This record gives sequence, structure tokens and C-alpha cells, in this order.
Amino acid sequence: MDEKREQMDWVAAVEVAGEKPPEVPPHGPVVWARENLFSSVGSGILTAAGLLVALVFFKAMLGYIFGADRKWDAVATNLRLYFTQAYPDDQYVRVWVAVGIALALTGLSAAIWRASGRVNGYKLGGWSFGVAGGLLTMLVLSPFSWGARLIYLILALVFVGTGQYLRMSHPKIEVPALSVVVGVLAVLVGSLWVVPYGRHTFVNGEVQPPRPGTVAMTTKLPWTVMLLVMVVAYFVGKAVRDKVSPGLSKGLLVAGWMLLVPFDYFVILRDPALDYGQVFRVDVPIFLFFAVVGSALLWWLSDPERGEIGRVVAGLMVIGAGVFWLAAAFGLSVRQIIRIDLLLLSVVAVAAPTFTGEKAVRRRFILGWLILLALVNYMAMMVNTDSTVEVPGSFPLGGFSLTLLVATSVLLMSFPIGLILALGRTSKMPIFRLLSTTYIEVIRGVPLITILIFFKIILNLFLPDGMSLGNEMSAILGYALFSAAYLAENVRGGLQSIRKGQYEAANALGMSTAQTTSFIVLPQALRAVVPPLVGGVIATFKETSLLFIIGLFDFLRIGYVVVGGQTAFVGSQRENLLFVAFIYWIITFSISRSSVQLEKKLGLGER
Amino acid sequence: MVVIKWISQVVVLILVVSGLLFFAAQAGSNLRAKNIETSWRFLSVKPGIQLGEGIDVNPSTGARALWVGMVNTIRVSAVGLILATILGTIIGVARLSKNWIVNKLSTTFIEIIRNVPLLVQILFWAVVIRTWSEVDFNLGPIHNWFMVSQKGIALPRIFPSTGFYQWMVVVLIGAYVGRRVYHQRETEREETGRETHALSTALGIVAVFAAVGLLIHPLFGFLGPIFTAIGDVLDAIPILVVQLLLSAAMVAAAGLWIKRFLDNLRTPAGLAKLTDDDIFRIIFAGFSALMGIVLVFVIWPGLSAWLIHSLRDFFHLLGDKFEWLRTGRPLDGERPRIVQTGRFPNFSTSGLVITKEFAALLFGVVLYTAAFIAEIVRAGILAVPKGQTEAAGALGLSRGLALRKVVLPQAMRVILPPMGNQYLNLVKNTSLAIAVGFADLVQVGQTLYNQTGRTLEVVAIWMGFYLGMSLLISVVVNFFNVRLRIVER
Repeated sequence: MDEKREQMDWVAAVEVAGEKPPEVPPHGPVVWARENLFSSVGSGILTAAGLLVALVFFKAMLGYIFGADRKWDAVATNLRLYFTQAYPDDQYVRVWVAVGIALALTGLSAAIWRASGRVNGYKLGGWSFGVAGGLLTMLVLSPFSWGARLIYLILALVFVGTGQYLRMSHPKIEVPALSVVVGVLAVLVGSLWVVPYGRHTFVNGEVQPPRPGTVAMTTKLPWTVMLLVMVVAYFVGKAVRDKVSPGLSKGLLVAGWMLLVPFDYFVILRDPALDYGQVFRVDVPIFLFFAVVGSALLWWLSDPERGEIGRVVAGLMVIGAGVFWLAAAFGLSVRQIIRIDLLLLSVVAVAAPTFTGEKAVRRRFILGWLILLALVNYMAMMVNTDSTVEVPGSFPLGGFSLTLLVATSVLLMSFPIGLILALGRTSKMPIFRLLSTTYIEVIRGVPLITILIFFKIILNLFLPDGMSLGNEMSAILGYALFSAAYLAENVRGGLQSIRKGQYEAANALGMSTAQTTSFIVLPQALRAVVPPLVGGVIATFKETSLLFIIGLFDFLRIGYVVVGGQTAFVGSQRENLLFVAFIYWIITFSISRSSVQLEKKLGLGER
Repeated sequence: MVVIKWISQVVVLILVVSGLLFFAAQAGSNLRAKNIETSWRFLSVKPGIQLGEGIDVNPSTGARALWVGMVNTIRVSAVGLILATILGTIIGVARLSKNWIVNKLSTTFIEIIRNVPLLVQILFWAVVIRTWSEVDFNLGPIHNWFMVSQKGIALPRIFPSTGFYQWMVVVLIGAYVGRRVYHQRETEREETGRETHALSTALGIVAVFAAVGLLIHPLFGFLGPIFTAIGDVLDAIPILVVQLLLSAAMVAAAGLWIKRFLDNLRTPAGLAKLTDDDIFRIIFAGFSALMGIVLVFVIWPGLSAWLIHSLRDFFHLLGDKFEWLRTGRPLDGERPRIVQTGRFPNFSTSGLVITKEFAALLFGVVLYTAAFIAEIVRAGILAVPKGQTEAAGALGLSRGLALRKVVLPQAMRVILPPMGNQYLNLVKNTSLAIAVGFADLVQVGQTLYNQTGRTLEVVAIWMGFYLGMSLLISVVVNFFNVRLRIVER
């Protein structure tokens, strides 16, 4: 790898020195074909063979997708089942609110982080040609009627014309990539109002014969609103981004993204039935107590003058909190939230010396504590309140939403665990190293499916009386513990890439080990391992399909078993699997593509 | 500072261990409350299950059933490894091709396969196979040679026959002689610079031995009684001796490790000062050996007996295979046929029948792993600096020779470690067999625990097996890694 990097550096150095690479003379399609397809006899044979393979493959694929006897109705009718399983119709607006929050965050983030990719006219024209080529391939190879072929031909000609116009007249104009994306989305959403995709409905468990016309209002209206929400959020973000400090706005957005999944799931989609009398009598006083006492304690602890006595107090707090937890096992009944808050306070107290400094710094530390406490208490309250959404089965989500929930929660949970494991494995303390190494290697040596089965069937055996986890939650827990081991290995690569000088410099500045790790080492290490981390995200997302095997109603099970088993759509499993594969593909492919952009933005391999 | 570090470590260790003990105790009491006890008895009684395929579809004990599952896992993994490596290498090289269409095709393949979950792909192949034609008496594409149906794919089969083991002895002797000749000729070439055709000569010698072996292999039946005798001798060894030998081996291994560790720390100025970390490592090595001895004598006394009996059975088996002047053919072949035993025509047991479950799983893992291997191969070839190819050209090496002698050996160094990871992934991914009902270890295990309720034990066996496979593959990959490493002076 180093050799490659050196080579690239050398190329970059030449470019900086002003020696432009030799101009490539523009050449026509014949020259291009001779150079790229028929440069030698062998190459010509390869071209012919490749063309044949491509032709057979696409012909079979398109013949299959557009063939007369295919049952795409199965997918079209069951879209809602696919994405949210049996979420009740009268509460469906909750799903849209949850999606809307995510899209609003997307729009805001695009504005705050100044998504600045630009596309020039030449490239846009190339894409237009690509679309035209795809359309032409389709109309030649697919079993279309002649009328449909004519429409495709006209569309293809329009794209060819657009491409030619962009390439010839405006090759240098630059358009923000963002507006291209939004434009494409707008065309797609707009087409819902215009193009007669047909109306596929499912009324009271009965499949209705598809009716002509555009899609149902319950589909096209929300999607239009969603698009508008995203665009409006973008402009709001653009308006406020110069008025707020970038650190604050970015911090808030990151926090928002972290909270998105638990908030969407526990607060919005579950619709917990809060008992407000109970809230004001119990939950609010507990919160206020910890807010006041905790802030005072932390203020005292984070004083730079505090010295050893602060450490002792923090240590005692940890032991106290631990004893308090153990006491529960021996029958001391205290509200769980008090125990959680006490543990939280003790952990933050231990971290206090890391954040000591001037008054402003300490004030920010206290503010952080208050926000954390409020969030934890709020979420704990919401999690502990029963859901009021009535669905068959015990879990309100299913299908794609369950897949997404599992993937995101696993990522959120495995990140801290993996970080700790990686630090443990690279630590100089042998017992920590031994424990983390054993854990990582054992977990990495066994297939995910065995872990999932273990957690599904046996986890509840290991839990104390009266405690149990639903299938979904135990799967998430097992999966998070599994992917933490892989994440730890990725992070370890980053930790090992930090040069010794960094540690020595931090040491020379008088930083403690915790400060060095959190402010010097980890930021650099994590930046260095963005590509493998993204790879891990993709793998985690793809492997949520294994939930199918342990019997959860994830995206794959809905497609393969539920939809494939409906009497109206018997024998539609290939269509359903292709649809599932397509959705997975779209998402993983776009993640991997955007990671390339992210790498460029972070300047990986350039600094 | 050191004291605080150690106190915190010991506290964490105690917490972890007590947490594990707590969970174990909890599991024990919960199991007792449900009237389930952990026991391994299910391994030795007849499970009453029928397996889809494998070396024994009606296993007589639970252990046998799991063994059949393991063999099936190994079978599909081994075939998958070979096919995925070949396909992945081809596609990886194709992705570097200057030919536009070949390049784009392989890119398309990789981008599609890599981004779709493997389980979806396996299920898709299973559904595709279900749409193939039914078995009938003139099934194609090549009747009685290569037949494709929704029951699977049937091919001619070549298998070791009665004289195989005697013949193998001759071939092994040939291989040894060939190896000696190869090294001799290589040295000669390096010294004199003359082309000595080392490889072709060596292969020729092996071929000659194999051919001669076809005639004289019955003579090697005299080995049979010897193997049987070795088995008898092994059987006569008291278990205590085996246990002592195992313990001695563990102590010796720990001692060797400590010695090498200290040697590494030794500088010309004497032994470097040991840090607390180093002392811990030494103590830990000793502790591991001690734990090994405790395992052999106290925790699992049956282990030594099991080891020695397996070894004895192995030699007795070999003794049975060698029989004085047995004149059978070493290898035999059979074509697949179609017979009708029940209501419908089906493949007969002659011939190599790739069942539909095996095929779906194999297609899935091979294509999926090949896509990843292709990327690794591409990255490996790109990692070799261009100057190397140019220098090889300047020395007058032909393109093929430059690729074989200069580029690939260097690329292999980059390719091998991630390739080992992919092999590991492939083996683990075969556990998805459960989705299509292929009787691999996980599927057999699931059937078994559904039958007997021994989930905990079955999961333990799964994990042990896969950990063992991981260890095996890492050892093999590491072996080649060390051999490929640049020799530094």
C-alpha cells in the first residue's frame, strides 16, 4: 500500500510542479472502439465474447422483468406491507412524521456541511447519454409492444438530444450535484401525479384488481410533502448557518442523528401512553434532584484546583453506584431510573478531570451533563411506557422499517462497545488486552447466525427472574455484540496508524491518558479508518437479512414468505426476491458511493 | 501508577468473571426450573432424524449426525473455496483489462453481487432451481452425462476404489522422488544458468510412478498388517501415559515460548528490564500450560482416551484398506442414471448428484465470495509498482514471464492476508445453508436441538467447530504468508 501511495504522491508532485499531463486529442467513436475494443485479435475475441454474455444476460433479465407472466402486482400491491408490515392505517401519519424528521435532518445537514459537489455540463451530458443507452437497450431487448417501444424511443431521443446539447453548448457550466439529485427526485415524485402507474389496493385483506390511473392519494401526497420538507429544511439550514457557530450547529445535528432512531421508534412510532400525573409526581422531581445535586457536584469536581480528592470522590461514587445496583439483587427496591441516573452521574464524575479548565469550559461541561440527563430520563420514561399502537404480534414494526431499525440500532450500540474493545486490545494493560483479544477473536471466528440463534433461544435463560427481552431486542443485542468485534478490528487499524510522536507530544503538553486518547488519538484514528468503517456499515446493513432465519418479520421474510405466500400471488417469489435485492442494492450502493465522496472531503491519503 | 493500573485490571477481571458466573448460575437455575439439565447424552443415543444428504443420512447417534453435518459443511466450503478463487481471480484480472466491454462487465458483476445480501442471493438461486425442468427419462443437456433438473445437477463421478490406498503409496513415493529431483534441478539451474525443465521432469516422474503403480500396487498390501499392528500398540498404551505425554507437551510448549520471548528481549548488554506487562505474559504462558494439564486430568479426562482411540481406529481403518495382493482398480468411475423407484423418476445414487440445496448454497457463496476476491486480486495487482514490470521488461523477460516471476509474487504478498479473511467468511457463510435446508452443521444442529432440547450444547459445538475451522484456515494462510514474506537480512 505504501508503495502505491508513494507513487500517487509522485504523480501529485508532478502535477503541482506545473507539468500538465499530455493533452489527449479528442477522438471519435471509431478510434475509441479500435483502442478499447479491438486493439488486438485477442481483444477482439474478448469483445465478441463479452458482448455475447452481456446480450444473453440482459435479454434474459429484461425478458424476465417485463415478461407477460410475471407477477409484479405482488410487489406493487404489498408495498406498504413491505415497508411497515401491519402498521395500522389510522395511525399511519406517524410513519410519515418519522420519515419527515429524518429527511428534515438530511436537508439541514446538507446545508450545514455545505454539500458542495458540482457537476459540469459535459458529465451531465454523459449521464444523459447513459440513460438513453439504457432505454435503447431496453426497447431492443425487452418483449414490449410496439406502442411502448415508440414511447421508449422518443424518451431515448429526448435524452440523446439533451446530452448532445449539454456537451456541445454548455460543457463548462457547473450545477450543484445536490440540485441534480433533488431534480431527479422531483421528477420521480411528480411522475406519481401524472404517469398512470395503476392503483393497486388491498382492502380488508382482499386484493383488489389493479385499476388504471395514477397511484393512490395516500402514496403520492405524503411523498410530495416529504420532498418539500427536505427542500425547505435545506433552505432553513442555509439561512441560519451563518448566524450560528458551526461547532454548535454541527454538534446539534450529530446529536440529532444519534437520537433519530430511538426517538422515531420509541416516541413517535410506538405512541407511548404517558400518565401525566405520574410524570409530574415522580419523574420530574427525580430529574430536578439529579440536575441540581449533580451539577453542584460536577462543578466542584471539575475545578482545576481540586486534585486527588476529586478522584477519590469520583471513585467512591462509582463504587456507590455499583453497590446500589447490586443491592437491587438483594431486594432493595428503588426505581430503576434512580439507579441509572446515579450510575450516569458517577461515570460523568470520573470524566470530570478530563474536562476541567476555565469557567466557560466548566459551564459547558455542566450544560452537557444537564442535556445528557434530560435525554436519558426522557427516553427512559418513554421506553418504559407501553405502546398504544395495535398491531398483530408484539412488535409495532416489520418489513423494511424493522430492518432499518435493527441496522441503525446495531450500529449505534456497537460503536461504543467496539471503541472500548479496540482501546482494550491496543492497551498496555495485559488483562484488558487479553479480555478484549479473546472476545474479538472468538466472536469473529463464529458465524453471525449462531450468535443470533444463541441470543434468540438461550438469552432469556441467562437473565434473572422477571427480566426478559423480546425477540427483536435480543436479536439487536446479539447482533450489536457481534458487529462490535468487527468494528473493534477496524478501529484498531486506525489506532495502530497513529505515530508515536503524537503520544509524546500530548505527553509533553501535560495531557492525561484519557485526554490524549479522546482528543488526540481517537479523532485521527477514526478519520484514518473511514473506508473500512463504511464497509462495516454496509456489511451490517446487508446482514440484517439474517433476521429472516431466526423468524423475525424483516424485509426479506416479508418478501419471501409473507407476500410469496399470499393466495393471490402464489409463485411470485422470484419477483419478491428481486425487489428485496433491488432495495438492498440501491441503499448499499449509494452508501459505498457516498463514502468515496466522504473520503475525498476528508482528504484521506493526501495529508 | 502501576499499582492503580493493576488494581483496576484485577477489578475488571473479577467483574467479568463474576458476571459470567452469575449468568451461568442463573442459566443453571432457570434450566432446573424448566426441568432441563445440561447433558451430553444426546450425542450417544439415536436421534431419530433423517438428514437431507451426506455420508450417512440415517445417523445412529447424535454425534454421528453432527459429524455428517460437519462433513457437509467442509464439503461445500472446500468446493466453494476452489471455485470462488478461480472465478474471483478471473474477474479481478478482467477488471483490469484494457478491453472496455470486459472491464465493464466484470465491474457490473462485482457491483451487483457485492451489494446484495448473500442470503437473498441464496434464496434466489433456490427459487431459480425450482423453476428448472422436472426429472424425466430423457433429461438433458447431455443425457446420462450431464443432467440438470429441479432436483439438482447430475455428473459422472470418479471415486477411489478398492486398490486406491496401495496405489496412493506408490504415487506418494513418486511425489517424494519428484520433489527431490525438482530441487536438484532447480539448484543446478541456479548454479549453471542452463534451463533444466525442473517442473516438467518432476511431474513426469510422478506420472511414471502413477502408471507403474497401476500394475504393481497389489504388492503394497504388506503394509496392512503393519498398520493394524500400530493400531494394536496404540490401544495397549495406558491412558495415564497419554495424559502425561499431553501434559509434558504443554509444559514444553510453554517453556519454549517463554525461552523465545526472553531471547527476543535479550540485547548484547544483557537481558532488558522486564516490564510488568512482560512478566504477566510469562506468568500467563505458565498459567495456560497449567490450565491445559488441569483440563487433561480433571475437567475432561475422557479427552486422552478419545484421542488415542481415534488414532487407533484410524490405523485399524488403514489396515483394513490394505489387503495383501488385493487387485482392484485404484480409481473407478460411474455415470449418473435415472431410475424410477417411487412415483416419479429420480437420479440414481450412481454418479455425482449435486442436490438442489447444495447447488443453491454453492452458487450463492461462490459468486458472492468471488466478487470480493476479485476486488482483492485487483488491489493486489495494482499495488505492484509499475517500475517492476518495466524493469522486468528491461531485463528481457517476456510479458508472461514478467507476470509470473515478478508481478504475481509481489501481488500475492498483498493479496494473501485479505484472501484468508475471505476464505474464513466463506466457511462461516455456508451456515446460511439453513435457509435452503442443506444439511450442514447448523441445520443438523437445529434439527437435533428441536428434537432433544439441548440447545446450549449444540450451540457450544457449533462455536467450537467454527472456531476450529477459523484457526485451521488462519494457520494455513499464515504458513504461506511467512513463506512469501520478503527475506530481510
